[in-house]
Amino acid sequence: MKKSRPDRNNGGPRQNSSPSGASPRNYGLPLPGVNDEEFGGSLIVIEGMDGSGRSTQISLLTEWLESEGFAVQTMGLRRSGLVAKDIDALLAENTITRMTLTLMYATDFYDQLEHRIIPALRSDFVVLADRYFYTLIARAAARGIQRDYLHGLYEMALRPDLTFWLNVRPEAAFEREFRKSHTISYWESGRDMSLSNDLFQSFIMYQAKMKKEFEALAEKQGFIAMDGEASVATVNAELRKRIAAHLGIQRTQYRPSAALASLWR
Amino acid sequence: MANESLTDTESISFEPVELSSLAPQLLEPARAYPGALIVVEGIDGSGKSTQLYLLKRWLEIGGYRLHFTEWNSSPLVKSATRRGKQRRLLTPTTFSLLHAADFADRCERQILPLLHSGYLVLADRYIYTAFARDVARNCSQRWLRNLYRFAPVPDITFYFRAPLDVAVNRIMSGRPKLKHYEAGMDLNLSLDRAESFRIFQGRILAQYDEMIESDKFVVMDGTLPVNKLQMQMRHIVKSRIDLSRFAPKKASRRPR
Repeated sequence: MKKSRPDRNNGGPRQNSSPSGASPRNYGLPLPGVNDEEFGGSLIVIEGMDGSGRSTQISLLTEWLESEGFAVQTMGLRRSGLVAKDIDALLAENTITRMTLTLMYATDFYDQLEHRIIPALRSDFVVLADRYFYTLIARAAARGIQRDYLHGLYEMALRPDLTFWLNVRPEAAFEREFRKSHTISYWESGRDMSLSNDLFQSFIMYQAKMKKEFEALAEKQGFIAMDGEASVATVNAELRKRIAAHLGIQRTQYRPSAALASLWR
Repeated sequence: MANESLTDTESISFEPVELSSLAPQLLEPARAYPGALIVVEGIDGSGKSTQLYLLKRWLEIGGYRLHFTEWNSSPLVKSATRRGKQRRLLTPTTFSLLHAADFADRCERQILPLLHSGYLVLADRYIYTAFARDVARNCSQRWLRNLYRFAPVPDITFYFRAPLDVAVNRIMSGRPKLKHYEAGMDLNLSLDRAESFRIFQGRILAQYDEMIESDKFVVMDGTLPVNKLQMQMRHIVKSRIDLSRFAPKKASRRPR
């Protein structure tokens, strides 16, 4: 049985969860040795391409939630203790083939799921995921790996309580990324797919493909699509409103501390 | 992939691409290649590696075009596997995924290109090792079958079957130091490593037996004398695969 949380019932119903708490938290299969009905916590995912403002929003939300007294754990792609370094090395070499890369990323994802997310949820943390396996499915599907194969691969993943999708035009994302790092990553521009020799065009074409994949996912998985090109403060206010309703937080006012004030532009 | 034909001068379209046109190797393989794949499977100590070695020597001496490949041999995931094993970070799921990544690398860079270029590929252990061992570790069968969908189906899968005691005794007499995961210690079957190994191997053996019919295994009696078993194996290979396809080309005379 899921933990009851009487102190949070006034914020509206939990999404993706029936009142009895009987709805499964995975996509069809439990992880071996894990009974996912036994833990509470909340899993909140923010998806969006590089330059959509994900990381900024995660920093701000972490501060806001902590100030409201919630313990927060974060996760992201390529952050597992098991294989993150190996993936870095493989990406730098870029001789890796797409199936191998897909499965290395899956290893990275499940390592974090089992060693970071699940322990945090067991301790009633709010887990903020800076991207989730949806990005991994979109990337692999854009490279021609069958979608039903990919969904099968992630069948034991946990279903997030909320998934936000920060939607930006590829052109705007390109500008933001270029301003930030003065270059565009080989992989984020889909250079391995030989779409175009022109970096900008390759990036736009690749991100358009990614967007198609995300649109399909958004509908099926119930993403909350948001305008990632709106100001940081506007996006953050909307995120806080939704998360507050989910967690039963009454007050949604928030001003970033001095440490994070530079993000609030 | 369909989009690879796009060039800068063509108009860019983002019509959804038909799935069936993509990644044919992810479908049930239709053996659309001139090569052939022979696989040996069985628990540790069943004699499979010895038999595949002798088959390989026979073919090598005959000059046939062949390539030999082993389970868990690629440098790609070695550091991750070592790290995971040393620090005991591996769960049944990540253990399974790392081996799948390793296999995918071998499959995409060796096995498939060689099958397409007309080689006879000999594999010491194949995806059935993962099916048997990972199900014994409580991974879902359905998940595993999907995970390895990209693997080409072997032309012959020899399953070397030896009674548990025979196989375990062969291993224990030759190599008494069993490693943590190898002995299935992560499953808490027994505090005694040798006993845990025996129970784990028993579970794997049961999983192999389950696949005999569904995966069309050729069952070989691992208790027979080595040379007798090898003659059986060669006979089956000759009768099932047209080896002339892999025979050395007759040397044409070249003018000096």
